[in-house]
Amino acid sequence: MTESGPTPNALTGIRVVEFGPYVALPLTGRILGSLGAEVIKVETNKVLDEMAFIPAWSRGAGQPEYQRGKRRITLDVRSDAGRDLILEMVRISDVFMTNFRRNVLDRWGIDFPEIRRQRPDSIIMWQTGLGGHGPYYTYKSFGILVQHLSGVSLMTGLPGDPPGVVNTSYSDYHTGVFQPAGIIAALMRRNLTGKTATLESSIFKSGVATCGPALLDYQVNDRPPERRGNRDAWAAPHGVYPCAPDPVSGDADRFIAISVADDHQWAKFRQAMGDPAWSTAPEYETRIGRQRNQDSLDAAIAGWTASQDAAALMDSLQQAGVPAGMVSQGADLNASAHLQSRDFYQDTQYWEAERGVKATEWVEGDSVSWSIPAKMSGTPIAFGKYSNIGEDNAYVFGELLGLTTTEISELEEAGVIY
Amino acid sequence: MPRFDDYTGENLIPPYRILDLTDRRAAFCGRLLADYGADVVKVEPPAGDPSRHLGPYPADDPGAERSLDFLFYNTNKRSITLDLDSQSGRDLFRRLAADADVIIESFDRHHLYDLGIGFDALRAENPGLIMASVTPFGNTGDWADYQGDDLVVMAASGYMQITGEPDEPPVRQGNEHSHYPAAQYAAVGILAALYHRDFGGGDGQHIDVSSQEALITYYTDAHPALLWRKLGQNVTRVGTNSTLVIPLGAYPCKDGWIAAGVITPREWNALAEWIHEVTGNDEVLNDAYRGGNQDRAEHIDIITALFLEFAENFTVQELFHEGQRRNLVFLPVNEVADLLADPQLAESGFWYDIEHDDPAIGAIKYPLGIFHSDEVKARNRPAPSLGADNAAVYQGELGLTADELVTLGSDGII
Repeated sequence: MTESGPTPNALTGIRVVEFGPYVALPLTGRILGSLGAEVIKVETNKVLDEMAFIPAWSRGAGQPEYQRGKRRITLDVRSDAGRDLILEMVRISDVFMTNFRRNVLDRWGIDFPEIRRQRPDSIIMWQTGLGGHGPYYTYKSFGILVQHLSGVSLMTGLPGDPPGVVNTSYSDYHTGVFQPAGIIAALMRRNLTGKTATLESSIFKSGVATCGPALLDYQVNDRPPERRGNRDAWAAPHGVYPCAPDPVSGDADRFIAISVADDHQWAKFRQAMGDPAWSTAPEYETRIGRQRNQDSLDAAIAGWTASQDAAALMDSLQQAGVPAGMVSQGADLNASAHLQSRDFYQDTQYWEAERGVKATEWVEGDSVSWSIPAKMSGTPIAFGKYSNIGEDNAYVFGELLGLTTTEISELEEAGVIY
Repeated sequence: MPRFDDYTGENLIPPYRILDLTDRRAAFCGRLLADYGADVVKVEPPAGDPSRHLGPYPADDPGAERSLDFLFYNTNKRSITLDLDSQSGRDLFRRLAADADVIIESFDRHHLYDLGIGFDALRAENPGLIMASVTPFGNTGDWADYQGDDLVVMAASGYMQITGEPDEPPVRQGNEHSHYPAAQYAAVGILAALYHRDFGGGDGQHIDVSSQEALITYYTDAHPALLWRKLGQNVTRVGTNSTLVIPLGAYPCKDGWIAAGVITPREWNALAEWIHEVTGNDEVLNDAYRGGNQDRAEHIDIITALFLEFAENFTVQELFHEGQRRNLVFLPVNEVADLLADPQLAESGFWYDIEHDDPAIGAIKYPLGIFHSDEVKARNRPAPSLGADNAAVYQGELGLTADELVTLGSDGII
């Protein structure tokens, strides 16, 4: 990079302080880091991020997803020296983002007015669970349960079913990907106008914002969303059909999704099935007819799919011009030639977290990590290095903040840096 | 640095010109950018975007200006009509693209190239042009030409594999969830590309977003590829309960469902004490159930039974507020009606009232306040009527005469 040349990554030169644990905030930092920002992740108060112990199959194996591409430091902000260090980091950074609650930040003396005093043009992203103000501001939540709070679980499944649930931290991901958009926009606005901004997000709001047109339908027509399962108001057949047990694992839980939007696709689908006699019945000729007779239609299609391999059927239907997708399992994604050709999953190391053992002594293992799903032709996404907790203390405290090695070891002895 | 004569920072995003060619699978990208200030011009075929002809409609009475689906995904955009299948339509598009900052599209990967208006051709006339393509499986690889809607992408990403009940087939989420992740990543990529171009000395570029990949990142907790690689297991559906956090789930109570989850030993003790107060059942105080969430894994059935016996004594709101008072993660399982009446959302700068000329719609709330801020607000213009900005764009910007506009109209180009 020459002084007049373009920056190598989209956000080269931007520095971000990431202060807080769990899923959404670290995901935001991961995305900004992948785009070239220097992200300093502060792990604080000798408390390990619980995410280091989840998922259960191997402690910390999923951590590179959230923490790679960052400078990771340790700091006890409950001490004056610790607080001063984080404020010094704020002074040399463009962005401060946190998911700690207001009263906790106040107690530590790193509240937002203080951030502004230290760095008047700092962009602040304050991620909350249910909201930073208002009647629930002290309430606790976590992402997997916010799918209930935000309305989506009672839109999923069929009438009379329990709430329909996805087994993941649902709207944490919405928040995690909304936030980088807000931050980059705020940086542009700052560069153009000199104005700063504090943006407050919430996991709750992110979930509700993505509920879709049902929010309008209720207001205009007083109509709650219909729980349609896998069916659609505008297409038939539109569902998930059983397939043969997996040829490798023997797993019987195999399905294919098939979506036929119009009569043209229906003709292609019939042809792909070999024009069985049942498919020529007049009630299936038009979309309206197929929608009225979905029970018999779905049963007939299931009879055709049940003996077939999900992956092979997906290929043959797609090649026949019929939108279809196997319900992918981990084995499929891991072996997917398509994803491999796009370098989606990449190998990485990790360290197995253990309580009471210094991070430098944790056991190293291998993991797999995805790359950011926005491939940019001019400013490649950085996969980045995966640092262990505290690995970048010397770089951040020494090179960036200018502390001497003696000063750093004194802070270590005092337990401020650990 | 770009020059925006009238931009003083009232909106978060400067008024970059964005041409939006997406369908409803990616329309949320342009909406997010438009809500926060970008000048997003939706380029529609003369008959209108297909989602104008999708319901729901007010009183189920169809009309191109009253599709609630279209209204939801296209707030704060402008609209022009243009027939890209005609040569003169494509000529006009080239002129628009020459002055645009960004194009967002969701066609199959050959479509714009076949029309002679692919990224390379447009970029030759506008080196700063940024184009984002949002497709089901990305623009490269074996599946690049495969088709997919919400259902198919939910399936192929594996997201459906972990959605629903364990003894039932996989189910898609009822909000057409796949419309958001790829659109959000595209918005991030576009803003980063603009930042690079205007503040990092760079050029324009192309951004390739795969909906399948975006959705895979949205269930990283379950990390299917990693679980397979480490243990040879495939993640699957667990219903409303979790295998990682015990108890966690949605439980029936007097008037609906309560969602609850206990992670720390302290939370368990508080819950056990409360259950004991209510049911008098000493079993809940059994020391075997104390500890962190994994410690209760083998007792999940009895703990669930104890919880159900307790929860049936209360309403959703009683459990929600009293649970939170006891420092427990208790949350209501809401319906859409509950969201619109929720006092927290009402005070979060979240709902924006938007007026509609159509009296059957009137003034309704839209969920635009994703970022709450004293310094910047989202905008509150309704989705545009079809071709509402034809005159402003074709006459005002491209300099066409009124006569030329009439001719283009009668030729079916706009």
